[in-house]
Amino acid sequence: MIRLRCLTAAFLVWAVAGCSSVGDREAAASEVATRLHAAVDAGDGAAACAILAPGTVESVAEDEPCPEAILDKDLPRPGTVVETSVYGQWAQVKLSDDTVFLGAFPGGWRVVAAGCTPQASRPYDCTVQGE
Amino acid sequence: MKRFVRDNAIGLVFGLLFLIVLIGQAFAGLAVFNEMQRGTGLPDVSFWRYVTSASFGADVAENWQSEYLQFFLFIMLTVWLLQKGSPESKALDKPGRETDEEQKIGRFADDDSPKWARTGGWRTRIFSSSLGLVMGLIFLGSWFAQSVAGVAAFNEEQLSELQDPVSWGQYLLAADFWDRTLQNWQSELLAVASMAILAIYLRQRGSSQSKPVGAPHDATGVEG
Repeated sequence: MIRLRCLTAAFLVWAVAGCSSVGDREAAASEVATRLHAAVDAGDGAAACAILAPGTVESVAEDEPCPEAILDKDLPRPGTVVETSVYGQWAQVKLSDDTVFLGAFPGGWRVVAAGCTPQASRPYDCTVQGE
Repeated sequence: MKRFVRDNAIGLVFGLLFLIVLIGQAFAGLAVFNEMQRGTGLPDVSFWRYVTSASFGADVAENWQSEYLQFFLFIMLTVWLLQKGSPESKALDKPGRETDEEQKIGRFADDDSPKWARTGGWRTRIFSSSLGLVMGLIFLGSWFAQSVAGVAAFNEEQLSELQDPVSWGQYLLAADFWDRTLQNWQSELLAVASMAILAIYLRQRGSSQSKPVGAPHDATGVEG
């Protein structure tokens, strides 16, 4: 009986830790997604590029430096977070006027794609995304 | 110690092999996972991060559920189904749950019979079905775990392809869930059918799973 109680306690600790960890990760992803829009809205291309994934920076900076190019991508103005989903190394943040996809990197979440509009049964069409 | 190992060799050896193979699966799975990570421009994950991931969980659980389903079906169906000449079958005149006397329960129990076989009532009823019950529960538990880990792994892939995640309910109707499930079930059912039939005509000297080498092909319910 004592062993069963210990196992139940261990499971609860694990479950609560798991839930709070998911909650923290969702909050962090939402914060990065809103920071991207705020940076672009403020005309701070360097700050926006600093939170893009390396592959996305490369793609954005194809013709001109990333800090200038990102400001020309017609990203929507900052909005409120509607829903955040985190699964493993990926996150999706749905904002009032945009959907942002993020990947997990050693320093935290980075934006892989933004300015995304849904396509029926197909991947989102994004104005900012990696190759 | 030596005697303990000899008396428990099947459980110990298979338990050890299970751990070795599970660790091997973890390393191979990590390599595949990191290949996909690189393909989507994300950094590699650590061994610990991978073995606690939904992807690894789904891969493990989908195989567990099918193995326990196999044993559950085998245990339950061989109560009634027979196979002439197979050591996996009971004798042809003994289909069904058999009499209390044949099963040594209640007043027919031996002195060394388990207590719950002797006491009668609900205890004996539960104990009489405990093997199938536990195998069935482990099957349902691991199938449920497969669905929970599977939807998380599926959604991780969905997001990496810039697509929306799905709910658990939607995932239960998704092709990915049934593809993972059925591909495991078919192999388990084939293995049981081939074992039951091949063991009619083929022998493995000394194996508990084979008839004695000299036993006739139509001898049923005989083990070596």
